[in-house]
Amino acid sequence: MKILVCVKQISDTDDIVRIDASRAWIEYHEKTSFRMNRYDEYALEEALRIREKYPETSIDAISLGPARAVSTIRKALEMGADNGIHLLAEQNSFISPSEIATLIATVAKPKGYSLILAGVMAEDDMFCQTGQLVAAMLGLPCATSVIYQERFENGKTLYVEREIEGGQRECLHIDLPAVLTIQSGINRPRYPSLSNVLRARKQEILRLNIKDLRQPEPCECLACLSYPQTQLKGEFIQGSLENKARTLLRVLHQKALL
Amino acid sequence: MKAQIVIVAQHTSGQVDPVTYEVIACAQELGRKQNFASIVVVLGKKTRGLAQEIADTCGLEIIGIENEALEMYNAEAYRAALGEALMQLHPAYIVLPHTSMGYDLAAPLSIDLKAACITSVEAILTTDHAVSFQRSLFSGKIIAQIVPCKTPAVLTIQPGAWRAEKEKVTHTVEICITQMHLKPTSTKTICMKPSEHEGLDLNQADVIIAAGKGIGNEENLSLIFELAKIFPNSAVGSSRTVCDQGWLGYQHQIGSTGKTVAPKLYVAVGISGAIQHITGMKDSQVIVAINKDPNASIFSVAEYCIVEDLEAFIPALLDEYRQLKSGQK
Ligand SMILES: Cc1cc2nc3c(=O)[nH]c(=O)nc-3n(C[C@H](O)[C@H](O)[C@H](O)COP(=O)(O)OP(=O)(O)OC[C@H]3O[C@@H](n4cnc5c(N)ncnc54)[C@H](O)[C@@H]3O)c2cc1C
Ligand SMILES: Nc1ncnc2c1ncn2[C@@H]1O[C@H](COP(=O)(O)O)[C@@H](O)[C@H]1O
Repeated sequence: MKILVCVKQISDTDDIVRIDASRAWIEYHEKTSFRMNRYDEYALEEALRIREKYPETSIDAISLGPARAVSTIRKALEMGADNGIHLLAEQNSFISPSEIATLIATVAKPKGYSLILAGVMAEDDMFCQTGQLVAAMLGLPCATSVIYQERFENGKTLYVEREIEGGQRECLHIDLPAVLTIQSGINRPRYPSLSNVLRARKQEILRLNIKDLRQPEPCECLACLSYPQTQLKGEFIQGSLENKARTLLRVLHQKALL
Repeated sequence: MKAQIVIVAQHTSGQVDPVTYEVIACAQELGRKQNFASIVVVLGKKTRGLAQEIADTCGLEIIGIENEALEMYNAEAYRAALGEALMQLHPAYIVLPHTSMGYDLAAPLSIDLKAACITSVEAILTTDHAVSFQRSLFSGKIIAQIVPCKTPAVLTIQPGAWRAEKEKVTHTVEICITQMHLKPTSTKTICMKPSEHEGLDLNQADVIIAAGKGIGNEENLSLIFELAKIFPNSAVGSSRTVCDQGWLGYQHQIGSTGKTVAPKLYVAVGISGAIQHITGMKDSQVIVAINKDPNASIFSVAEYCIVEDLEAFIPALLDEYRQLKSGQK
């Protein structure tokens, strides 16, 4: 069985996020740290577990992004993916989910994957669309927010649990080939082993410039970015550490909460 | 029936989900701005009761689409049924809630309809020549305005972004129920399983101290439990990430896929304030947020905001508390 895992590189969410001068996208600086989207780590780990159970499995990891995205593909190889594919987007600019999905689907189509895994959501753009779009473009069934999956003996069908609101689960049977978008908590992603780290260092990554692929037509475009105008409901408590602690205790006491 | 905006209702176990009325409120706003009429589509095995309830609450025209295969939510069956209905209605917008149903369905519908797709919309902006939709990026630190470049556009609406408007409906509302023929689906919905994360009744607590990823490691949970101890009738909650890390069990998780709580006091410690977390705690009476990042979104819902490193602040708070106590004696 051949599995494709979509891994997106994102900037660390704790960092300060700055809008560029033209308000068109995010401006990154030397200190910005980049990492793999957390949901994609879970997706990759799920693929690795499938391969442990069915050793004939091979796993490709694909990422669309600028040159720096290679480090995220490298991380996927370190965790244990067999091959890396980099769809190079030269510019650091907004690319809509429909464009990303078109490009991923174009590359995935001739490869005949039995299973395509993505994260349920990218932590930066938070669209929750890409996996579903890839599925629809390839005419494959799709289950989102998957929190459990298991393959049946026949090798053709998956038993899948989707997590829905309140933690309930929708249980379904889905035929392969299929696309799953993975929810966090489905497993515990592993740390790379030394042998995989050494292997990944030397390994070639297939690189395709998106300019050389079929140009997707954008369905939505980004007009502009802005910072939220936080209408603070409350107040920032000021002062030294001790002062803040004292003030907080006093207001909680006044409100009879303490 | 003719309408430019089609709302897809969400329901569970024969009840209309409240989020449906939020989506209707959003659609009404869009309709007022563009002079468009709205219609609600309800899919199910039996839809009369649901349709009547919606009609009585908002006064919009309703289409009920019935088939055995629509008894439980099934992406394939819903997509096929909606696809067919929408081909006939030709709407400019299809609006769904941004829920596990909405984001499951929106993208494939947009492919079927050759439509634009904009998810988790929080506001509508109109200028003379264009309509754009506002949504959050980077856990709410950035706001984006997105413009659909195609018609129709499929939208999913962030729960909590619109307030449900219930009006007194005096006119008679047209309800049209049709049986739709559907091909058998290859994806089979088997059953619904209840949440496995019961066992801790967070709703009984007056005070919830909630830990986020910002606690950094499992050892720092002791700070959270110690802080909880100074409050009578308190409990410890958490963000999903803390449970995913294995630091606390999922019975502690608060948010859209965890528990919804509304205690007298909610203290969010090292929680960024992702919308999925806020959904589960925003109705708390008093919210205190402790975070070292002054731009964290959690501060927009908090009454008392403290920008500090929790590893320094919580020990200081506990110290002050002890001093106060001993001073009182
Ligand atoms: C479909 C779906 C459903 C979801 N359901 C839920 C849900 O039910 N509940 C839920 O919580 N999440 C849910 N999530 C996840 C959600 O999107 C966020 O990823 C999650 O809430 C983030 O948790 P966090 O705030 O603990 O971590 P982070 O976002 O990593 O934030 C950590 C915060 O801690 C601060 N911090 C770091 N160090 C310190 C320090 N020393 N002192 C003080 N502050 C510090 C940082 O500034 C940051 O703001 C869901 C996501 C999806 C896609
Ligand atoms: N640029 C990208 N490269 C690789 N995978 C991506 C990319 N963008 C999105 N994805 C995948 O699609 C998922 C959902 O992303 P989104 O629709 O942007 O929320 C992510 O978790 C990834 O698995």
